[in-house]
Parts: sequence; C-alpha cells; structure tokens
Amino acid sequence: MAYEPPVTDYDEIVENGTCAFCGCNCDDLDFLIKDGHVVGVRHACRLGASKVMEDMDQRLLVPMVRDENGELQEVDWDTALDKAAELIAGSVRPIFYGWSETSIETMKHGIHLGELVGAVLDNQATICHGPSLQAVQNVGYPVATLGEVKNRADMIVYTGSNPMNSHPRHMARYSTFPRGWFRQRGRFDRTVVTMDPKYSDTAKMSDIWIGFEQNGDYGFYNAIRAALRGKEIDQDFVSGIPKEDIMELAEAMKNVQFGALYFGLGLTHTLSKQRNIDMAIEMLTDLNKYTKWVLTPMRGHFNVNGFNIFMALEMGFPYGVDFARGYPRYMNGETNTIDLLTRKECDVFMVIAADPGAHYPGGAVKHLAEIPVIQVDIHWGPSTEIADVVLPGSFIGLECAGTSYRMDGVPIYMKKAIDKPETCRDDEWIIQELHERVKKIKAKEAAVASK
Amino acid sequence: MKIITLTLKKKSQIALEFDELIPDKVFNWEKADFENYQVPVGNRRFPLTDYFDIEVEGDAASPEEVKMILDGDFGRVKYIGCKMSAGEIIVNGDADLHCGAEMKGGKITVHGDAESYAGREMKGGELEIMGSTREFCGCSYIGDWRGMSGGKITLHGNAGKQLGECLSGGEIFVKGDCDILAGIHMNKGFIQIDGDVTRWPGGQMKNGNILIKGKLGILLEGFVYDSIVVDPEIDGKSFSGKYIKYNGDIAVNGKGSLYLNAEKNREYL
Amino acid sequence: MEYILKNGIVYDPANKIAGEKKDVMFKDGKIVEQVSSDAKILDVTDKIVMPAGVDPHAHVAGPKLVVGRIYRPEDSRKGVTSKTDVCRSESGFSIPSCPATGYRYSRMGYGTVTEAAMPPLEAKHTHEEITAIPNIDITPLPLFGNNWFVLQWAKEGKIDEIAAFVASWLRIVKGYGIKIVNPCGTEAWGWGGNVHGIDDPVPFFDVTAREVIRALAQANEMLGLPHSIHIHPNDLGHPGNYPTTVNSLDCVKDIAKNGSKRNQTIHLTHAQFHSYAGTSWRDVESGAKEVADYINNNKHVTCDIGQVTLDETTTMTADGPMEFDLHELNGLKWANKDIELETGSGIVPFIYSGKAPVPSFQWGVGLELFLRIKDPWQVCLTTDHPNAGPFIRYPRIISWLMSNERRQEMMDNGEVRVWSYKRTGLGTLDREYDFNEIATITRASAAKIYGYQDRGELTPGYNADIAVYDLNPNDIDPSKEPAAIEHAFGNAMYTIKDGQILVKDGEVVKVVPSHTLWTDVKGFEEQEKTVMEEVMPTFTRFYTVKFENYQVQDHFTPNPTVTEVKASK
Ligand code: SF4
Ligand SMILES: [Zn+2]
Repeated sequence: MAYEPPVTDYDEIVENGTCAFCGCNCDDLDFLIKDGHVVGVRHACRLGASKVMEDMDQRLLVPMVRDENGELQEVDWDTALDKAAELIAGSVRPIFYGWSETSIETMKHGIHLGELVGAVLDNQATICHGPSLQAVQNVGYPVATLGEVKNRADMIVYTGSNPMNSHPRHMARYSTFPRGWFRQRGRFDRTVVTMDPKYSDTAKMSDIWIGFEQNGDYGFYNAIRAALRGKEIDQDFVSGIPKEDIMELAEAMKNVQFGALYFGLGLTHTLSKQRNIDMAIEMLTDLNKYTKWVLTPMRGHFNVNGFNIFMALEMGFPYGVDFARGYPRYMNGETNTIDLLTRKECDVFMVIAADPGAHYPGGAVKHLAEIPVIQVDIHWGPSTEIADVVLPGSFIGLECAGTSYRMDGVPIYMKKAIDKPETCRDDEWIIQELHERVKKIKAKEAAVASK
Repeated sequence: MKIITLTLKKKSQIALEFDELIPDKVFNWEKADFENYQVPVGNRRFPLTDYFDIEVEGDAASPEEVKMILDGDFGRVKYIGCKMSAGEIIVNGDADLHCGAEMKGGKITVHGDAESYAGREMKGGELEIMGSTREFCGCSYIGDWRGMSGGKITLHGNAGKQLGECLSGGEIFVKGDCDILAGIHMNKGFIQIDGDVTRWPGGQMKNGNILIKGKLGILLEGFVYDSIVVDPEIDGKSFSGKYIKYNGDIAVNGKGSLYLNAEKNREYL
Repeated sequence: MEYILKNGIVYDPANKIAGEKKDVMFKDGKIVEQVSSDAKILDVTDKIVMPAGVDPHAHVAGPKLVVGRIYRPEDSRKGVTSKTDVCRSESGFSIPSCPATGYRYSRMGYGTVTEAAMPPLEAKHTHEEITAIPNIDITPLPLFGNNWFVLQWAKEGKIDEIAAFVASWLRIVKGYGIKIVNPCGTEAWGWGGNVHGIDDPVPFFDVTAREVIRALAQANEMLGLPHSIHIHPNDLGHPGNYPTTVNSLDCVKDIAKNGSKRNQTIHLTHAQFHSYAGTSWRDVESGAKEVADYINNNKHVTCDIGQVTLDETTTMTADGPMEFDLHELNGLKWANKDIELETGSGIVPFIYSGKAPVPSFQWGVGLELFLRIKDPWQVCLTTDHPNAGPFIRYPRIISWLMSNERRQEMMDNGEVRVWSYKRTGLGTLDREYDFNEIATITRASAAKIYGYQDRGELTPGYNADIAVYDLNPNDIDPSKEPAAIEHAFGNAMYTIKDGQILVKDGEVVKVVPSHTLWTDVKGFEEQEKTVMEEVMPTFTRFYTVKFENYQVQDHFTPNPTVTEVKASK
C-alpha cells in the first residue's frame, strides 16, 4: 500500500463509529468529517475504510423504474414505491432477499410485509453460512464472544477461512494479536493454526499450517476425533495429512488452556458441506472433555448474523422462512432463495442491500433476469442492471443509525455520523412505505372480494 | 373402494402442495368436492380443476378404501401423501419434494423419480420409488435427531446424498448406487445398498446396520474392523456371501455395524 | 374508560381477600374504589377473579433464547400456528418465538414476567426481544455473579464499589436487580472447569461463591433495591447438593434487609434443582425436607420451585458447566455461549420422561417442596421456563397442587416411575392448595418478592392487571377435577392489562406493547462516578466494544416502567 499522508483538514471527528462491512463490525472507528462528508477514517482496515471513503462512487441517488423500452428512468418516490408495491401485492411466490447489510429496524418492517403477502424472507446465509447453521441445528453451537478469545485463548484455529483477506482486523483486534487479561503478551502467548488446502495469507502468519486436500475436510476431522478417542490411525495419510501429524495435533489441542476455532466458507462449500461443520463442531465438543474450546463461524456481512437472530426471535427460524401458507415454514432445499430461483418458482424478487448475482449459480441468475426485481440499495451494482424498480437507500452506520449483531452475537447500535444525500431515503422508511402501500392494495382487494 | 384419478392437464411452474389431499382427508369427498377445492400454490389457492381432470369412482367408508391415481408429471406437486396413514397413492410420473413425508401407513408408489425429502420422518407404511431420489431420502426434519422411525422405502434407482440421515428405525433398500454419507447420524434401523457407494457411509452413526453389496469408495477412520462374516444374518434377514464387518462410528462412540461385500472390496481386506 | 367486573369471587391475597363475592372496578388503566354510572359492566358472576399473574423467574428474551431457536428448528416447528386477524403466527413449544411468548402468557391470565438472566454485554439483544414480546411486562435481571469487576472487589471486600457498580450497571443496561448464577462456577467454566460448594475458590481470581454472594447481598441492601439478590446457587442438579443450597442461603442471614416491601434478603430460584441428597444418581434422595425446613425457619429467604413438567424441553442457563455435564449425560446437541468479562451460558435439549427414574424423581422433589413450604408468601410457582418445562404448563402444575388424588394416581398408574415417591417424601404428603394459596404463589408472593408497588394486588391505584377464570370455586372440587382446573387456568375468561381486555374466553383479542421494568438508583452519583473512573481503563483494554456502544440507548426500552430507588447510604 502506498503511503498516504494523514488527513488534517476536517471540521469534526465522530468517535466510536461502526464499520458496516465484515462480520467483525468494528465499533472503534473515527470518522473525520468536513462539509458533511467523510474525508478520513481512523482505525478501520483498508476494506472498511474503502467502503466508507468510496461511498459516493456509483451511488444510487434517485428512484428509478424501468420503462417499456427496458431503460431505467428516474422517477419520483411515489411513482417508484407504488410500482414496487403493485408488483409485491400481485406476486404469488415473492422472495425478499438480502438484509445482511441493513439494520434490524429495517427488517422489522420487512417481516411485517412478508407476513402480509406471504413471502419468503431469506438472507445471504442461504449461499454462505447456511450449511453452518444446518450443522449447528444438528449437533450444537458452542460459541463465545470475541473478547473471551482475546482474554483467554492460547490456541486459535482458522479453518476454511482466510481472515487476513476477508476480515482484516479479526486477528489484530480480537483474536491473535491483542493483549488479553490472561494473555498479556498478545501474539506471543498464542499458537495459531490454519487448516486450509491453500497456503493463504493467514497460513503465512500462523505457527502451524495443515494443508489437507480439497474435499478432504470430513475425513480429516473424523480422523482427529478417532485420535482423540485414542484410536491408532489405520491409514498412513488421511486427506493428504500424515497420520503422525494428526495424532500430534489432536494431542496439542487437548493440552491448551483455551482454544478457539473459527471457520469460514471454505469448510461449508466442499463436497460434504454442512457435515464438515457438523464434524468440526463435534470434534470441538469432544475437546471440551479435556479443556475449553469454543468456535464461531466467520460471518461475512456485518449484519448477516443479525438477520438470523432477528428471524429466529420473531418466528423461530433463522433464514429461508416461507410465509406462503400463512404460517412460518423453514425447510432447506425448499424455502431457500436459490432453490426457488433455480426451480423458477419465484415471480417477484426484492433485494435489500445485497448483490444476488455474485454468488448465485447460473440458473438462478438467469431466472432473475426474467422476473420483476425490486432493488433497495445504495450503490449501482449487478442487481441494478436487472432491476425494474430501484429504491436508493442510505448508508447504515454512517448516514443512518441502526442495530446490528456482530459475528459473535454482540449487538451494536451503529450511530449516525453524517446526513444522507437529500434524494435518498433510509431503508427503514422505504420498507415501511412499501408495507403501508401494499396494505392499502390488499385492503382494497379484500373489499372488492367481499362484495 | 374409491378410485380418485387426477390427470394433469396444466403443469404449474410454482409447485402445488398436496398435503390436504391424502386419503385420510378425502375418503368421503365426492367429485364435486374436488372440483370446489382450491389447492395451495405459493401464497394463493387456485381451483384444482385448473390443473387436473378429476375422476372419482366408487365409495369409501374409510381411508383404507381409497386409491389415488396421479397421472402425469407431478414433478411440481409437493407433499404427495404427506402424513397419510392409510390407503394407496400411485404416481404415474415424477413426484416433487416431501413425497411420503411423515407417512404413518398405507402405500405410495412413484413410477418416476422423487425429489429430495422423500419419506422424510416416515413412521410406517411403504414408499416405493421406481426411479431415483435426490438428497435426504428417509431423513429427519432439520435439527431433529430422530429421523425416519418405521416403514419401508424401496428405491429402484439411485439414492442422492445423506440417505437415511438420522435413521431411527425402519428399512431402506436401494437397488442402485448411493452418494455420500448414507446413514449419517443414524441410530437404529437398516439400510441396504445393492450398487456402489461413493464415500463415507455411516458417518457419525450411533447404531443400526448398513449393508453394501457394491463397491465402496472411501471408508471413514471412525470405522474399526471387526471380522469377516459369511452369510450374515442381520435384523432377521439372511444374506449370502462374504462380508467385511466394521463397527463405528467410533468418533461418536458408535455401536453401529457396516457390512461390506468382500468380493467387490478386496482392497479393504 | 371505566369498568366494573361484577359479582366475581375475588382472591387478592395482598389485601387478605380470599374468595369474597365482590366487584372490582377500574378506570383509565388503574384499579379504583368507585366508578361512575357510565362504567361498562363485565358480568363475571361466580367466576374467579385474581390479580394478573406474576412470574418471578423464566427465560423468555435474550441471546440464549435465540440460540435455542436457531439451533432447534424441530422445537420451533412444534408450535407453529397460522396468523389470525389479531395475532401473528406463533412458533415453538419449549422456546416460543417472541410474539408467541406474549400471547401464551396472556392466555393464562399473566401480566408480568421476569427475564431471569440478562448478560450485560448483550443487554440490547434482550431488550429487542422484550420489545418484540407483546401483552406482558418484563423485568430483566442482569447477571453479576461472575462479573470480573465484582469478583475482584468481592475478594477485596469492597462493598461500596460493588454497590456503585451495580447502581451504574442497572442504568447502563436497564436492569431491575441482581442475578447470580453459579457464582464463580461460570467463570471457572471459562477454563472448562467448575467450582463445588460455596467455599471452592475460582482459578486466578481466587475468590469463593460465599464471598461473592455476601458481597452482592450487602451491596443490594446498601442500595435498598426493590428486589433482593436472586440466586441460582452452585452445584445445580448434582446429587447431594442441598447443603450447598442451605449454606448459600445461610451465608447472608446476618445481612439486614433495607427495602420497603419485600421481606427477604435472598431469593432462591428453581429450588427443585438444588434439593438433592445422596452422592450419585444411583443413591440420590430428595433433600426437599431439609431445604423446606430451612425456608420454613428463616424469613429472610424466598424461593421459586422450577417444577419438572414431564415434557421434552430445552434447558438453558448461565450455568455453563452444568449444561456441558447435561450434554455428557444425554448426548444431545450442546450449545454454549460465553460472554467476555461477565458470564457464560449453555443450552441442551432435554426429555423429562415420566418413564425414566431421574425425571420422575425431580418431578417428586418439586412437588414435595411446594407441599412442605408452609408459608405461600415464601414460594412461587415456576418451571424455570424452559428448563424444567415450558411455562404453558403452569395450569397443569396448579391442578397437581390442588389434587392429592391426581398426584397419587400418577404415581400409581405409572405416569411417573417409582422414584417419584420412593426417593422423595411426596407419597406421604396429602396437602392440597386452595385457590387463595394458588393466587399467592402465582401472583401475590412474586409481586411482593420483587417489591412491586403497582401490580400483583387489586389495590386502588394499582395497575388494572386482572385475570378472570371460568371456574366457580364454590361449585368445583379441584381435588376431583384436575382437568377442569388445568383448562380454566390455561384459558382465561378475561385477561386485563392496564385496564384493557387482552384475552376473552381464552383467545387473544387485543395486542399491546409490553413494558420494561428497570431500577434507577438515585443518590449514589458520587460513588458511581468514582467507580466508573476505576472501571474505564480496564473496560477499554479488555472488552471488544467501546463503552459508548456498550450502553443500552433509551430507545431500546420504548415503554419503560422505572422504579426509582433512593439509596440510603
Ligand atoms: S475488520 Fe471488518 S469490520 Fe473491522 S474495519 Fe475491517 S472491514 Fe470493517
Ligand atoms: Zn433460570
């Protein structure tokens, strides 16, 4: 990174601001503000800083509706909202997808709208940590807040995750480097292990790298568990790792004072998907017979966990909740976005602060191009290209306050630092407006039906 | 005997849901009842007649006396026979998700393929699929450690991933091949696979029996060699030939048994 | 709006009204002495009228609950209902969704419930759930028993500091009183350990549960908080734990009470789990007699029971090590949630089957405690929801307490195994609760124990929180008709909250936002300022959030009911 001189020309500093980017949800940012704009950010990593600084790039500023010729035309808010409401009210299998980069306050209106029309509410977990949640549902969820790890951990394992790239301050602020209550020397008091087929940037920072072969995760964890139970491993190599190394690692993991395991998408997206996590969680549970171990999924978006928490407290299920039949239904493979899109069942798609194209399989993206799409977001992106209605929102944690839940479940109220562009609206307001307008349409329909 | 025939005339892109159309609920329905019935589709209900020609013949005093014949491609009809306790359903075509899920009795025959979750949490009765299934045939509801607990599933084609997940009773027979993790987390019951298996059968299994007549790709470390058995008898069924018997999955202190055809799996000897 | 509940048979233990035919009047949300002739008449002739129920201990809102819901979709699925014109969809059996929690309490005639374990760092989460629960007011108790600041000061005997810290923290996190769970044991669980008994020091901090309990009790009385310390002692669920329980209660006996309404200086929660004799699950015996005797002889103690209901449920407590033990015992999926510098928790599904000896024994111990504790003002009905069973079973427990015949029948016909009476004293106890005692243990005693001055009694000026049950007490023999008792207490004829009719004939007819009850200590500002100066450097170094973002902002409690306390020192 090139040297950048510190910003000195600003009117005020807003302290303890929050980074609305990755699941670390860092809340120690200083925003340097001049003329109502952020001119500098302190403490954020480059990912977080660039999100704030490049904010006006590609910014969606005006509501738009696609015309007969397929062109997006700028319209007033009423026109755009009415159009969106009409699409939602008329849909038979609507999906409201995204939510992981907006506030809990926005979701509150979203769920009411979803219950009213019988929609599927789903978030990025459906393509990211969905398998982790399924594994959690099968075998358990022994977690701890990040501070527990900072204060106590003497061994940290990253598996299927490369935080140096995806969560740049995870090691620096929370797990590896900081001095903790019982780890006064910080990094020197901890052993860091990376389990990853790739020799990643995180592996380079680690004391031990276990490069098991692609798709070998399930077999590898099974072998560690067998070793923990005192079995002499039969095969010389399991998933490409020599049996001696497996026995040695099992022994080392048993003998720490406090171990923490963080797992990422690398583990959830191989052949045996949720069962890798399933096995990793059970391995960790086994380890608790000997000493203390906790785990946490490395959640990607700052509020992806928040949506899961929110849906569970409101309706008992974490994501992929289907209200079509007038009650909540949760069934993997049936009530999830990807399945409904690849099966071409969805007929109206609303995407809230998310980019559906990027991680979707081809068939799903193709179907999206064929159905009405409503986008609520702050930036121009792939979904704008296919959107029929575009509703420009505001930047949570900067232009608008809101609640989020960090990857470890710690709730943070992200305060506002600057005003939003005049023509934009808060996500919360947009979804509430949609709810009101759809309610009116439905009431009219009911009145007609009763006559 | 009442014979109810639904012949598909229009396939819906959005799946229909048939949980209300099981013998237990419709045994006393007349033709007119079906014609007035609105079937759930997405967040609406539409007339059943939009999709099917309906014929009803004969009478039934109880669900046992009902035979439902579903003619055509039912690949977009979910929950066929879900929770049924008696009677018979014949699908002359494919069936969508949850065919025979939570069924307690009676019989379902699918003459095509069945989507995922066929026979989920089945408690009794018989589910016969002439084609193949996708994932989670004979499984539990997500989160529950108690899966299919009774009845019998026969699959003439191939089984997808995680067949018999959390199996807690009953029997599953696969005539074709089977993908990864058959019998994962199972704690009771019997799975027989006549074809080949990719890898990891019996992962995290606590109890029950799995018998594989074909060739196995990768076996888990959690399985410990027990013995070579000839013409074994398992759950009251006799098998001829030589089998390698393993116990596992010891990763979960499992006491399950895995029988592997010795002829086809010489490299494990 | 003015109302008269006419001709009901009123049980209002706080006002010593036990089954009198009497009108109850309310106006603008409050009980009044008199109403005008415009008052609307609700005819409840010969029906039971009580103050709305007050639940002193349940787990209904917060991070543990949501972990439970996220990882037990199979439980959520059990309670799914379709939305109606009034209610949203419900879900869950042992861990109902937030809306379901409110509706279900409301249907039983309840008006207030305590959320018994709020981790301060995640208090915002608890408050979000409280806000999502309609129809029932909620009193959150923050956890202090394993807090690192408290552990250090307790070691040094710095009671003033603890008191100032508690005063500040109740305001910062919007909590009502002091909850202590497995003091020192949960901190030991930070290392995978536990402590046993109240004199077993925790690693590193080198302080004992006795020191922590005493220090917090002294701080509590120094501040004169409306509630006493509320304790889940060490050794929960271990055979032979009753001496630990008695020692925990006895160690604060000399501390003088400083609070207006309550009598106690310590509240023992889910006493059932803490009243076991013997040395292992093989030779376990009930210790209910010993614990009940202690309570009968010591007015500084109150308790709730944590009655086992014989259901499949979800256990969840801040007692992390206990939950891991439980997982080791039943092998079912284990969740754990440790919170930096403050506390931990664990969650495990559990099946209390009457076909198994241990649950039968626990069922017997709970009932034995109910029947042995003589003064109903010292005991409250709870299931430690969802730990010993879901709160929707309160009506069933009432039916058991009112019918010796039913209890004997269950033991005779094998609904519970022989351990229910062979290992407990239950078989010899034929006491039956009357309606007045039921009214006491389900509302009046809890309200008094919490020092509530606006609910739990039908006193003019109090909130019009009233329940009417479709039973004629002069007509029914509860001993003979347990099913009718259960049905009536589970389906209130009316539930009235702040003067509004929320339930009619067992159906929710109106949904209103709930209130959050918290305590604001006044007059301790100087001490608080000093203590915050001491706390801040440590806070900044070892927490992973900034203090500004740690606090619970006011909008997380949109409908607060604040009890102001004048600290008397
Ligand atoms: S680590 Fe994540 S939350 Fe923290 S500053 Fe970087 S991008 Fe933002
Ligand atoms: Zn409790």
